[in-house]
Order: sequence, then structure tokens, then C-alpha cells
Amino acid sequence: MAQMVPQLLRQQLAELASQDKRFDGRGRWDSRDLILETDILYNAEGSAKVVLGDTIVYAGVKFDVASPYSDRPTQGSLMTGAELRPVAHRKYEPGPPSPESIELGRVVDRGIRESGCIDMEALCIVPGEKVWRVMLDLHVLSDRGNIFDACATAAIAAMRTAVVPAERFDVGEDFKLELSSTPIMCSYQRVGGRYVYDACEQEEIGGDERIHITLGDEGHLHSLQKGLRGVLSPAEFTEILAQAGDRCAELRELVHSKEA
Amino acid sequence: MGGYGDVQLLREDGKRLDGRAVDEMREVEIKAGFLPAAEGSAWVKHGLNVAVAAVYGPMEAHPRKIQRQDRAVIDVRYNMAPFSTSDRIRPGFNRRSREISKVTAEALESVVLVERYPRSKIRVEIEILAAEAGTRCVGITAASVALADAGIPMKDLLVGVASGKIDGIVVLDLDKAEDNYGQADLPMGIMPNTGEIAFLQMDGDLSPEEYDLATEYNFKAAHEIHELMKQALLDSASGGDV
Repeated sequence: MAQMVPQLLRQQLAELASQDKRFDGRGRWDSRDLILETDILYNAEGSAKVVLGDTIVYAGVKFDVASPYSDRPTQGSLMTGAELRPVAHRKYEPGPPSPESIELGRVVDRGIRESGCIDMEALCIVPGEKVWRVMLDLHVLSDRGNIFDACATAAIAAMRTAVVPAERFDVGEDFKLELSSTPIMCSYQRVGGRYVYDACEQEEIGGDERIHITLGDEGHLHSLQKGLRGVLSPAEFTEILAQAGDRCAELRELVHSKEA
Repeated sequence: MGGYGDVQLLREDGKRLDGRAVDEMREVEIKAGFLPAAEGSAWVKHGLNVAVAAVYGPMEAHPRKIQRQDRAVIDVRYNMAPFSTSDRIRPGFNRRSREISKVTAEALESVVLVERYPRSKIRVEIEILAAEAGTRCVGITAASVALADAGIPMKDLLVGVASGKIDGIVVLDLDKAEDNYGQADLPMGIMPNTGEIAFLQMDGDLSPEEYDLATEYNFKAAHEIHELMKQALLDSASGGDV
């Protein structure tokens, strides 16, 4: 019966869309307010908090010393995990990682990894024996829509402020994790038949498919993901890609402004 | 994308290491309806990849909480056989296969007329028997043929195809070496009749112009594979050799 509510909501969202309006009064490409804080958690080597409207997420970076992968003996590694804990919404239940949390972690991971911003060679301690493993954890505390962008923004901000704790592991002096670029994700969801940026909770419940685009400093694509049920045309993609170019540049500036 | 090491993937003559042109796909072979136990099935060989798909249902959706009052749900399991890669894979689901299963299910729910089967479930099993780059796409192609073979109505046959970038050049349908050492991969699920995209992922590095070219290659290949899919279904329906 809970599914009858989305049907009514869908009708309402379609009516709003026909007048070029949104549920919370925003324009089609407008974001909710995004507040970014970095370096806020004492025990994390890099941390960030994003408040995007009523969505709240934390990202934390930890390091440990591990053996390298046998085919990449001189490279460190990155591990990204996402937790959708019951704290974040009534729809989340305790248990093993859900497909949703796995997708979230992997899509954020790909955007960062594929941009090539991490110099994995710089994370080698002893070739073939010891390398740094970067562990990036995304912790969603309140899901009121668009946790992907909130997490991706927190993730890159946390990474860009992280310090490798070499002294604690007795392998030299602490050093800043150098990132050569700042990949940024923008997500678009089909609501009432057309794409909008930064969907809120109601737009997610009554919406269709979503597209996640991660762009690098030069505006190149580093990761794409289509999630949920629905299809799009190449022309629609071109439209949101142009929007993403502008928004990513704004968010990149914000992330840079929060670096010490 | 790996992107590690200095492996040259394009020859002096502009062809790829296996002799293909940049916009040439690997050979594709498709058979429909050869798993006796399944309601619908398909076997797809795409280059050195081999994927099998089986469809069961529509059946009652269990557990109740996955039921939808207004449509069927599609339950996809993408699984790589332990012997499908050069290093044996530990059997069972991992994070990669869970993610692929999720987005594949969502893509198939976009093309199947799921509203015809409220409260029910359609089970789609994708088994990768040999993996040589592009298995998620081969799985999508196989799943679509299996769904059609099961007589389940769809808006279109969804075709899985990928393009990518090697040595800075956009190419169609990456093989294993190109996937390992290339710079980008753009897998898509394309509906050739409507010209829409129901599955979309990408990783690596592509400029907007390179994205457009890769998409063009994908649509071209999708039309070619689409013909093979239809032919396989016709052969199966007429009791052809399977």
C-alpha cells in the first residue's frame, strides 16, 4: 500500500514539471544549499562533512600498511566503502551491505580512481612488500535525497585534506596525500519526465532513473553510471553533461576553498 | 581502467593488435532457447566471451516485501564461473557482481513491459563462462534474448555494447588487453528501435567529443548485434539448430 503514495506523488511531480516547477520550489538545475566542512574528525587522517539540504554525510580517510597487489608491486591502493546505516532513514535496515550501498561506494570510488588524481606510486613504501592502503569510508547519517553527490563531494574533500600517518606506522615522516586533480560528481534524476539536478527525497520517491557524471579538472568524463528504472536519449545526455560542466566547476572551487 | 605500463595497442598501420579496425567489433554468435529447464534462454559468444542466460517466471514474488503492486520486479544474478578468468574466481557474489546485477536489473525493467505482471517476479540468471572483457554487455545481450525466448513482452531488445579508448583513440568493443591497458571504457545498453539508452556506465578518461564518437560506435554495433539477436530468435522459433 505504501506504493500508492508514490503514484500520487508522481502525478503531483508531473503537474509541477509541466509548469516547469519543482517540489521544493527550486529551478530545474538548482542545487539545495551545500555546506562543506573539512578536517573535522580527530582520529581520521582526512575527513569531511557535507550538508546538502537535509542530507548529511561524513567521509573519513584512514590508512594502513599492506602488501601490494602482485601485479602492481610498486603501487598503493584505494578501498572505498559506503554505509547506509539504519540511522540515516526509516527505509534502511541493519544487515550486510545492500546493492544500493555497494553501488554508491563503487561509483564514488570510480570517479576518484579513474581521474588518476592519486599517484599510487607515491604510496609505495618498500616495492613488492609494503604499500599504503587508502581506506575511504562514506557514512550517510541523513538521507533526504542525492546522497551520491553529497558522498562524492565529501569524499574528494576528505581525500584532499588527508595526511599519511607515516610516523605512527614507523615508516618515515607524515606527509600530505597529494592529489593532482579534483574529480567532481553531479547527479541528475528524471522527475515528471525531465531531468533535474540534486533531487530531493520526494523527487527520488516519485522519480525515475538517475545519471551520475564525474568530471575532472579539464571537463573530461571519468565515470558514468545510470541507476534505477528508465531510459534516456543521447540528446538528453548532452543536455545534462553541459549542466554538469558548470556545476562541477563551482563545486571544485568550493572543495579547493576548504583546503588548509 | 588499468592504464598501467607502456603497452602499445595500435599498430603502425592504424589497426589494433588483433587486426581489427577502430570501429570494428569482435565476432558475435547468438543462440536462443537451448537450456531445457528454463522458460527462456540464450547463449552468446562475443569474441572470446561466452555468456549464458536463463529466464524463469513470471512467478509469484517472494519474499513479499520485494513485491510491487503495479508491476513485476526483475531479479538479475550476474555470476562469473570460477573458471571464467585466468586466475580462478572465488565462487559467489562479490561487490562487482552485485553492482552489475543491480544496474542490469534496472536496465531490463526499463524495457520489459513489467506492468503486465503485477506482484510477480521474473528471474534472470546470467552466467559468464568465459570472460575476456565486456562481460556485462554480453550478459545484457544474452538476457534480452532469453527474455524474448521466454515470450516476455518488451519494448525493444536491449543490446549490450561497449566502446573505449586506447592509445588516445576511440575504438569499438575493447578486448582483454585493450581493457587492461586502455584509457576508457563506455558500456551501454541500447534499444536500437527507439534509439534510447537503458544501461550506462563509464570509467577512465573521455573528453565530451570522444564520448560522442564512442556513443556513435556503440549505436552502430548495437544495430548489427540486434540483427543477430532477431535471427537467433527466428531460428529458435522454427526449431533450428540449437
